[in-house]
Amino acid sequence: MKKEVKKVIAMGLAAALMTTMLTGCRFGFASDPDDPNEEEETIPIDTSADTFEYDSSLKGTSITLLNSKAEIQVALEEMGAVFEEKSGVHVEVMPVTDGDSPYTKVVSLYNSGNPPTMSILDTTDVIALAEEKAADLTNEEWTKEATEYLTEVNGKVYSFPLCIEGRGIIYNKAVIDEALGEEFEPETITTLDAFVELLDRLVDAGVEKPISLAKEDWSLGAHHLQYIYETYDGTSEGAQEVIEEIKDGKLDLASYDRMSDFLDMFDVLKKYNVAKGDPLGADYDEMAIDLADGKTAFWFNGNWAWPNLSEAGAENEDEYGFLPYFLNNDADDFANQQIQGSPSKQVMLDGQMASEKEQAAAKEFLSWIVYSEIGQQMLVYTCNVIPPFTNNPYEPVDPLSRDIYEKVHEGKAFNASAIVPNDHWSVLGAAMQKYLAGRSDREELIASIQDYWDEQE
Amino acid sequence: MKSKNGAKDFGMFALPGMFCFFAVVIVPFVYGVYLTLTDWNGVSKVKKFIGFKNFAGVVKDTQFWTSLLLTFKYVIVVVVLVNVIAFAIAYLLTRGIKGQNFFRAGFFTPNLIGGIVLGYIWQFVFSRVFVSIGESTGWKLFEVSWLSDPTNAFIALVVVSVWQLSGYMILIYVAGFMGLSEDVMEAASIDGASGFVMLKNIIMPLMMSSVTICLFLTLSRAFMVYDVNLSLTAGAPYGTTEMAAMHVYEKAFTSRQFGVGQSEALILFIIVACISGLQVYFTKKQEVEA
Repeated sequence: MKKEVKKVIAMGLAAALMTTMLTGCRFGFASDPDDPNEEEETIPIDTSADTFEYDSSLKGTSITLLNSKAEIQVALEEMGAVFEEKSGVHVEVMPVTDGDSPYTKVVSLYNSGNPPTMSILDTTDVIALAEEKAADLTNEEWTKEATEYLTEVNGKVYSFPLCIEGRGIIYNKAVIDEALGEEFEPETITTLDAFVELLDRLVDAGVEKPISLAKEDWSLGAHHLQYIYETYDGTSEGAQEVIEEIKDGKLDLASYDRMSDFLDMFDVLKKYNVAKGDPLGADYDEMAIDLADGKTAFWFNGNWAWPNLSEAGAENEDEYGFLPYFLNNDADDFANQQIQGSPSKQVMLDGQMASEKEQAAAKEFLSWIVYSEIGQQMLVYTCNVIPPFTNNPYEPVDPLSRDIYEKVHEGKAFNASAIVPNDHWSVLGAAMQKYLAGRSDREELIASIQDYWDEQE
Repeated sequence: MKSKNGAKDFGMFALPGMFCFFAVVIVPFVYGVYLTLTDWNGVSKVKKFIGFKNFAGVVKDTQFWTSLLLTFKYVIVVVVLVNVIAFAIAYLLTRGIKGQNFFRAGFFTPNLIGGIVLGYIWQFVFSRVFVSIGESTGWKLFEVSWLSDPTNAFIALVVVSVWQLSGYMILIYVAGFMGLSEDVMEAASIDGASGFVMLKNIIMPLMMSSVTICLFLTLSRAFMVYDVNLSLTAGAPYGTTEMAAMHVYEKAFTSRQFGVGQSEALILFIIVACISGLQVYFTKKQEVEA
C-alpha cells in the first residue's frame, strides 16, 4: 500500500516536472515566435515561363551545397527541388549546424576527403580557401551581371555573390511619426548634429531611450568598428589600403579622422542606448521586440535582422528603413548620406575533389539562379535576399531589404567590405565591449586596435 | 591451459578494445603532437616542419596565460566547493531522512542535462530572471546582469558548474557511505568516538577511495570546462571569462593559428595529466582497508 502511494507521488512529481520543463520557456516573451496558428505568407513562384536551356547530359548528377546562412535553409531546399525537377540534377543542401563555424565545417569536410560541391561562405573564408581549393569561375557568363560585386583573388574570380547585405541605423518610422506628431523624413538627417537633435526631440516626446545597441562582439567588432576602414573612401580597395597603412604603422589611429569620427558616433549611440544602465546585459531578442513595439525608435543592425523583427510582430507593410552611420557634421561627406551594402555570402565551387560533371552541374545551378525566370524569382521571393545581379527584375519584399535595394539602385549605398583577419571581430569585439561598458577610454581602445594590427604579419 | 590460449584470448577480448583505443585516442594524440611541430593551417596539402616555433608563439600569447591562470582559480574553487557540498549532502542523504531517494534523484538531475543546454538556461536566469527580480525588489545584487561584470560572471560560472557537478559526486559519495561497514562504526562508537572525531579518524580514511574518484573527476572536468563556458558566458564580458580550453579552440579555429592552438592544447594536456596524476597518487596512498 505504502509503496503504491510512493509510486503515485513519484509519477505525479515527474509529470509536474515535465510540464514545467516543457512550458518553462514559454512565459516572459512579449510575442511568441513559434505560434503555430500564424500563417506564413509566401509569394507564389510563377513557373510558367522558363527559357533557360538545361544541359540534358547532366541528368542524374548529384551535387551538394553547404549552407551557412541558416535562415534560407528551407528556401534553398525548395530551390534545389525545383531545379531537380527541371534539370534532373539533384542538389543536396547541407546546413552548418548552430555553433559550428562555416569555415571549420568546410575545412573538416575537406580533411575527411568529402567536401561539398558548393559551399556558401563569408568573403574572408573564400579568400582563405580560394587558391587552394576552389574552381576558377572567371569565365562564367554571370560575372557580367554583377561586375561591381565580384570578389577577386589575384585577378581571378572564385566565388558567386549570392546576396547583398547592408547595415545602418534601422528606424521604425511609425514610432518617430507618432512621437513627433509629424511625418519623419529620413533624407533630411545628414549630419551627426541633426541626428542628435532628432534623438533629443524623441526623448522630450517620451521615447526615453531611443536606441538599441547590441552588445554582441560580432556586432561591435565587425559591424561597428569596421566603419573606420570602410569609410576611408567607400571602396573595398580603400579599406584594404587603410588596413595596410595601420599595419605598417604609417597611419596613426589616434589622429586618423575616421577613428575619432567613428567614436563620436558610437558615443552618441552609447548615450541614448536603451540598456545604458547595463549595456553588456542587453538582450538581442528583446531589441527586436523593443523596436517593433515602439519602446525604441532605432536599432543598429542590418537587413538580416528582419526575421527577428518579423517574429517580434513587424509586418511587411510597416515602414522600416536605414539611416547612415553618421560620422561628422559635413553634410557632403558620403558616409553621412549612404549606407554600407556589399555582397556578404559567396558560393565557392570545389575544384579539387569534384568531378568535371559535378562541376558542370554546379555551374549550371549557379547560372540557373541568375538567368532562369524561376531561379531569379526564387532567389528574391523564396530566399528573401537582395540579388546582386543587375538582370534580376524582382524586388525584395521586406522593408529592410527593399530599402537597401532602393538605396543600391539610387546610388545611396557604398560597396566596401574590409577584409580583416578572421579573429578581428572576436578580439576587437572584446575591446569594443570594454569601451561600451565604460571600462576603458578612447586611448585604451585605440591602443588595443593598434596592438592587434601590430601582431598581424 | 592458460599459456595455450593466451594469444587467442588476447585476440578475442583485448584486441578489439585496444584497436578502438589506438584508433581514436593514441593515433590522433601522436598525430596531434606531430602537428605542433608543423606550420599546417588546417587546409594546405603541405605541412612544413618548423620545430618549436609554435611553442614560441604560445609563450607570446599572453591571453593564453591569463586564461590558464583563470582556469586554475576556477578549478580550485569548483573542486573544493563541489566536493565539500557533495560530501555533506551525501552524508545527510545516508542518514535515513524522509524522502532521501527523491532528494538523491533531484540532486542528480542537473547532470542529466547537457552542459550547453544548462548554460543557456542559466544565461536566461542570470540575465533575465535575476534582473527582473532586481527591478521589482530593488535589490542591488540583481540590479544588473551578473554576466556583464567580470567578477560576477566568474561567480556565475562557478555556481552553474557546482550545481551541475555536485549531483554526480553526491552519487559516488552516497555509494561510499553505503559501503561503510556498520560493524566498524559501532565498534568506534563503543570506543567512545563520536561527531568530528568519528568523521576524521574513521569515516574519512574509509571514504578515501570515493574521494580519489571524485577529486579526479572534478579536477579533470573543471580543467577541461568548455560547454558551460561557451553557452553561459562565451568569454563575455570582453573575454574575461575565457577558460583555457575555450581559448585553445578560439586560437585554432577563430584566429586560425592551428599550430599554436594545438601546442596550447598539448600544454594544457600535460598540466592536467600531471596534476590529476599526482592527486591520484597521493589520495591513493591515504586509502585504507576496513
